[in-house]
Amino acid sequence: MNRNRKRSGFALLLTTLMLVAAALSGCSGGKSAGDVTSGGDSSGGGDKGGTVTITHYTIDSEDRTFVEKLIPDFEAKHPNIKVKVEKAPYEQFDSKLQTLIAGGKSPDVTSHYGSGGFAEYYNKDMLLDLTDIIQEDGFKAADYGIPDNLMNIYKVKERTYGIPVNMYVTLMLYNKDMFDAAKVPYPPSDYEDKSWTFDNMVEDAKKLTVISDDIAKTQYGVDFTWAERDNRPLYFGAEPYSEDTWTNGGVPSATHFDSPEVIAAYNKLFGLIFKEKVSPTTEWSQSVAGQNGDPFVAGKIGMSVSGSWSLAGANDFPFKIGVAAVPWGGNDKVRSTLYVDPLMILKGSKHPKEAFEWIKYLVTADVQEKSIELSGGNPPVNTQAAEAYYKHFEGVDPQDIKNVYEGAVKYGFESYNHLITNYSQINDMFINEMQPIESGHKTVEEVMPTIQKKLQEIIKR
Amino acid sequence: MSTLPAAGPQANNAVPKRRRSADPVGIVSFIALVVTTFLMLLPLFFMVSTSLKSKKEMLKFPPTFLPESWQWSNYKEIFETLSFGTMYMNSLIIGILTVVGTLLSSALAAYGFARYRGKGSSTWFLLMLSTMMLPYPAIMIPQFILFSKLNWIDTFLPLIVPAFFGSAYNIFLLRQFFSTLPDELFDAGRIDGCSEFRMWRQIALPLSGPALATVAIFAFIYSWNDLLTPVLYLSSTEKLTLPVGMASLTSSRFRIPPWHLLMVASVLAMLPIVTLFAVAQKRFVEGIVLTGIK
Amino acid sequence: MYLFISPWLIGFLVFALYPLLSSLYYSFTDYDIIHPPQFIGLANYAEMFGNDLFWKSVTVTLRYTLISVPIQLLLALGFALLLNQRIPLRGFFRTAMYFPSMVSGVAMSLLWYWIFNPQIGLFNYMLSWFGIRGPAWLMNPDTALYALMIMSFWTAGSGMILFLAGLQGVPASLVEAAKLDGAGRFKIFLHVTLPMISPVLLFQLIMGMIDSFQVFTQAFVMTQGGPNYSTWFYVYNLYTSAFKEYRAGYSSALAWVLLVVVMLFTALVMKLSNRYVHYEGGKR
Repeated sequence: MNRNRKRSGFALLLTTLMLVAAALSGCSGGKSAGDVTSGGDSSGGGDKGGTVTITHYTIDSEDRTFVEKLIPDFEAKHPNIKVKVEKAPYEQFDSKLQTLIAGGKSPDVTSHYGSGGFAEYYNKDMLLDLTDIIQEDGFKAADYGIPDNLMNIYKVKERTYGIPVNMYVTLMLYNKDMFDAAKVPYPPSDYEDKSWTFDNMVEDAKKLTVISDDIAKTQYGVDFTWAERDNRPLYFGAEPYSEDTWTNGGVPSATHFDSPEVIAAYNKLFGLIFKEKVSPTTEWSQSVAGQNGDPFVAGKIGMSVSGSWSLAGANDFPFKIGVAAVPWGGNDKVRSTLYVDPLMILKGSKHPKEAFEWIKYLVTADVQEKSIELSGGNPPVNTQAAEAYYKHFEGVDPQDIKNVYEGAVKYGFESYNHLITNYSQINDMFINEMQPIESGHKTVEEVMPTIQKKLQEIIKR
Repeated sequence: MSTLPAAGPQANNAVPKRRRSADPVGIVSFIALVVTTFLMLLPLFFMVSTSLKSKKEMLKFPPTFLPESWQWSNYKEIFETLSFGTMYMNSLIIGILTVVGTLLSSALAAYGFARYRGKGSSTWFLLMLSTMMLPYPAIMIPQFILFSKLNWIDTFLPLIVPAFFGSAYNIFLLRQFFSTLPDELFDAGRIDGCSEFRMWRQIALPLSGPALATVAIFAFIYSWNDLLTPVLYLSSTEKLTLPVGMASLTSSRFRIPPWHLLMVASVLAMLPIVTLFAVAQKRFVEGIVLTGIK
Repeated sequence: MYLFISPWLIGFLVFALYPLLSSLYYSFTDYDIIHPPQFIGLANYAEMFGNDLFWKSVTVTLRYTLISVPIQLLLALGFALLLNQRIPLRGFFRTAMYFPSMVSGVAMSLLWYWIFNPQIGLFNYMLSWFGIRGPAWLMNPDTALYALMIMSFWTAGSGMILFLAGLQGVPASLVEAAKLDGAGRFKIFLHVTLPMISPVLLFQLIMGMIDSFQVFTQAFVMTQGGPNYSTWFYVYNLYTSAFKEYRAGYSSALAWVLLVVVMLFTALVMKLSNRYVHYEGGKR
């Protein structure tokens, strides 16, 4: 009977195939008549009446998707351009972007919101060279209040690949309640105050630190999370990557993570935890604040050095905060890492000129000012909008934020994570290899040669 | 196995009723159940209690077990923060259609695989299993290219249509259940002149109530909680699904996520599944109902 | 037979075969997603076997599979047996056991992150009742993998309902007959119940293996493969190569190695099981 079935099987298979095909086409026609058209015109880049649609790809979170609220105004000013926002949660940002590109549905405008930075996109040849468009358009950074040094961050070999839109800096937040309780004077916001050094910070931190068996009573003086791990030696004046990295698109010809200077820098940093005992271990921080959380927010840290995004939630903190300068740590040129997010046009864009119009719109002074409110406190790159940003945070003196921002720009260096190729691998490697140091199982001297070796392998890929 | 099992409503009870009260094994089992259930439910208790805390209380350290002040307004806030209603509906539509599609197609295919174990069939069977063994990140891109050629991007189709062609997991699952059905039943059916299709419908399906209910639950939960597929294929705000909305609450690198709202969303997201399970769970209790076969 | 499997077969040809074959093709290429793939023969496969992280991911995944799959099966079967008795509040217990499996992925990882918190988490808090000072779980390279295993046990409820559905199919007449023959509870289980549900057991074993070879979300969301690579699972490694390193070719090669290994495992288990798994309609 099995054989019998097989003979008729093929005919049956054919019939069902046709039946199902019919059902399928009926199904797709019926269910999604509306859906298909909306999907259609974005991909075709349709030319109905001269309108084009550009896609802005971003993270699916309130502080990024607010651009949707700017679209009506933009479209009113540019009736021939429609803007569509495509979004993904942070965790899926990279995979969706690459899938879109591979599937021939490349977005037009995006930024490095995923795990890789600008250099990654540049070296993978994903970015459109904007130099000619800028020239043709007559775009001048100065008209948009964008300082030249910020424009230069996203130039490689004199060609421009990105227009800055937001600028985060490194700053120090401090818990005023904790300072008051310990009767320690507040740290200064002025970068020119010569008394504000790393060693003085450690002294203050000792007065603020309470270590107790009762976890609810334990508190630490300082949490020094200055930039990503590989970036930190720079704070003390050690430069682990060769100079050419910053001009050739992020491919270091040499790295020096096993040099005595770098090792000394890391020892000083980990000394905060193990020698001075004024900083928490990673384990403690994560226990108190949860995954990717910040123990400062839980009120367990006196001073926290981190990116200015921590300001954004400040209004909800259950204690009073102040803003201060990053102390001097031995590097006369650099005290702050900058995190300048650029808007970039992808190579797959079919309408780069229209995309550039959208970018220009987003960096104009009044839009940048509006964006501060809409995003809940994104720092504008346009200096004309900066004053509005300084005033945005209740309970924090605008003058302090201004001092800190101006000092940070003066003594700033763009964060390595934007500038070095294959960075997400480098960062993964640092996090994993340094873990034994952070937990006190290995010394800096033991680990750094391995890191240096692995780093070379990653860069050579 | 030569005798026809006299299956009936009472078939599911290994321990007969009369011994219940004096049964030491029963008492031990009961205690074991109480303990494990307690452990299982504790995290969920925390989930619910967090959903009723204020934003400020979330930042408190150490965390409180019960909310200091009960913020029922959180349950209103979620509808203001996300287009929660729309997302809920979208997820429901996709979920229900997925269940319908999966049940129909998987039950058919599973019957085919269970009843005929000829030479070709095991090849097809392994081929079917192999589709589960390739991890999703590896086929994401080719699949996206395929669906974009069909012009299905930003529609529900990539999330629903594949279910109508059977999912390997559920086919395999049902095939295992169908395999336990006695051949004698089908021999009897054949003598009565039933076509294979009628035997599928009138013998195999009614006997597989618990298994079908299980498949329905699994298919629904899978579709209901799926995050990656909607993220890849949907972009219009009015088409997004619940998990995408929930992920958007935590996806900023720069903000303290609104944990309380996330927990509210999680609690609300569980409702349809709990309902479905409560309904299906009744099926388990009823056991197999053999109608008209005896 | 073809009539019955035709919906699946068509779906397979349309939706699965093309992605399967493209990834096989990519595995022989250097493909960065942006530029067209370039054929490089077996270079991806050759590279894999000399790569430290590849071997690390194999070890982590195997360890996870060998420990967690059997325990999960035992737990699920145990729960199912307990709940297949006539016991007060049976419906409540079933629902409660199954409840955890209803929690969505995002919420689940957040919850467990909190539970495993070394200082204030539920887990170590309960251990402290017994005077045990718990480890740092997810933050300690020696315990992170075990923490993820424990978390996987929480969802044993979904395996439980499969076993329950299977147990429903065990005819009461058989059990009664065995009882009349004077068989004890354990004997009945071993000689009647177990053979009757063996197809379900086999299903869960195979699925458990396939699933745990592909563990990804937990590593991705909760530990990012760390600390110190202790949760660097195979598919996490595959994902990083594809989407963080832009090496779709290499990651396709990883995928195919996994496919072949899991196929072999499955075929082996099925072959061995032929002797033990009891099919009622056994026409083999």
